[in-house]
Amino acid sequence: MNHSPVPHPALSMPTQGTFPLFFRVVRRQRETPDTYTLWLEPPAGTPFAFQPGQFNMLYVFGVGEVPISISGPAHDPIPVVHTIRAVGAVTRALVNLKPGDLVGVRGPFGTSWPLEQAQGKDVVIVAGGIGLAPLRPALYHLLHHREAYNQVVLLYGARTPRDLLYRRELERWRGRFDMEVLVTVDRGPREWRGHVGVVTTLFDLAEPFFQPANTVALVCGPEIMMRYTARELLRRGVPEEHIYVSLERNMKCGQGFCGHCQFGPLFICKDGAVFPYPQVAHLMTLREV
Amino acid sequence: MARPTEDERRIFELLRRHPFTRALPENHLQRLASIASVCQLQPGDYLLREGRPVDAFYLLLSGRVGVEVYQPDRGVIPLQTLSRGDAVGWSWALPPYRATFDIRVLEPTEAICLPASELRQLMHDDPVLAVSILKKLLSMVASRIQATRLQLLDMYHRENP
Ligand code: FES
Repeated sequence: MNHSPVPHPALSMPTQGTFPLFFRVVRRQRETPDTYTLWLEPPAGTPFAFQPGQFNMLYVFGVGEVPISISGPAHDPIPVVHTIRAVGAVTRALVNLKPGDLVGVRGPFGTSWPLEQAQGKDVVIVAGGIGLAPLRPALYHLLHHREAYNQVVLLYGARTPRDLLYRRELERWRGRFDMEVLVTVDRGPREWRGHVGVVTTLFDLAEPFFQPANTVALVCGPEIMMRYTARELLRRGVPEEHIYVSLERNMKCGQGFCGHCQFGPLFICKDGAVFPYPQVAHLMTLREV
Repeated sequence: MARPTEDERRIFELLRRHPFTRALPENHLQRLASIASVCQLQPGDYLLREGRPVDAFYLLLSGRVGVEVYQPDRGVIPLQTLSRGDAVGWSWALPPYRATFDIRVLEPTEAICLPASELRQLMHDDPVLAVSILKKLLSMVASRIQATRLQLLDMYHRENP
C-alpha cells in the first residue's frame, strides 16, 4: 500500500483560489443542540467536485473564515453539504445562517481518505463526535461502490445520545445487511438502550466482522480518541500503514502558504487533513508542535 | 480424574472460545469447566449489587449488561455496557469480595458462571492457573481503567475550538 498521503488535487476549480466565491444556503438542518448541517448552492454554472475527506474554507461576512470538512456525497456534490458545530464566533455565525443567506466558499482543499487503496479490503471507520462528518463522504463512497470493498464496519462514539449526528442515517445503515454499525455514548441516561463506554470499547464487539491484517481503518475524532483508537487497531493486528487519521488545526490560507496550520514539518491544510498514521503518530504525542 | 460430563464438555468448548479464557491450556479449561455452569439471565436481573458479596465470576456469551451506580440525587447512572466476550468484574478476586457497582441485565443474556469461592480454591490449589487468570484479569482491569479515564476526560466536550 502507498504510505504517502493521498495527493493534493491540482488547483482546477474556480473555488480553489485565494478569494471566496459566494454560495447560497439552500437548506439548514439541526443535527444536535449545537450542530447544524448546511446545504450550499454554488453560483449558477460554477462547477464543484471534491474527494471524501477534503474541506472547504467557509467565510461569513464580517466575522471570519474557518475550515469545515465536506460531509455530503462526492458522487453528488452539489449542493455542497457541511455539518458545523458551533464552538467559536465563526462557527456560531455559520450555524445561524438561514436559507437564502450567502457564505463565502474556497476549496476543496487537502488530502482525501484512501478509498482506492482500500478496495478489496475490510474498511473499519471509527468516528468520535463531530468526527463522523468528515467520514460520511467516505461511507457514502463505500456504500455507493459496495461491491469494491469487503466488510464495512462503522464504530461511532459520541458524548451522549443527544450528541449523535445523523440519527436517521445511522438507523438506516444499521438496518443494512452489508455493513456493521456499532454506536456508543460516553454518558447515557437510564432510558438509553444502547452501549455505554468510549468508542474503543466497541472493538471487542466488532472483532468478528473484520480481518485486522486485511483492514484499512479511517479514524476521525478528538486527537486523544484517535491516538487510543490507533493503538487499539495496532494491538489487534491492523498494519500501521493501513491506519489513516484526519487532523484539525486552525487555518488561514488553506493552501500551504501562510504556515498557520503547521504541525511539526507538516502543513495540515496541504499535507492533510487526512494523514497515514505513521506519518503523524510521533507528532500526536508531542506537547508543542 | 473423573470423565467429563456432557455439560462439562459443552462448557469446555464455550470457555475455549471465550476471549477471557481462550488462551488457557486444556487442563486449566477442564478444571474451570468442572466448576462452571451456563446461566440464562433476564432483563432486570442483577448479577451484582453494590456492597453485597460477589458469589460468581461471569463470562458473557451473548446479550448485554450494564455497570451502574446509584446516586440519591441523580438516580441510576449507567457507566458502561458489557456484552458478548466481556468478563464481569474483579471483586470476586479481591477481599472483601463485595461488589463495588451494580451490574444489571439489559437484555436476555447468556453467561458462563464460575462460582467465586470454588474458583478461588482452584487458583489456590494451582498457582499456575492462578497466574494465568490473574494476568488476564489484570489486562482486563487495565483496559477498563483506560476506557474510564477517556470517559472522564469528556473528550468530545470542546473538540474543535
Ligand atoms: S492554513 Fe496556511 S499554510 Fe495551512
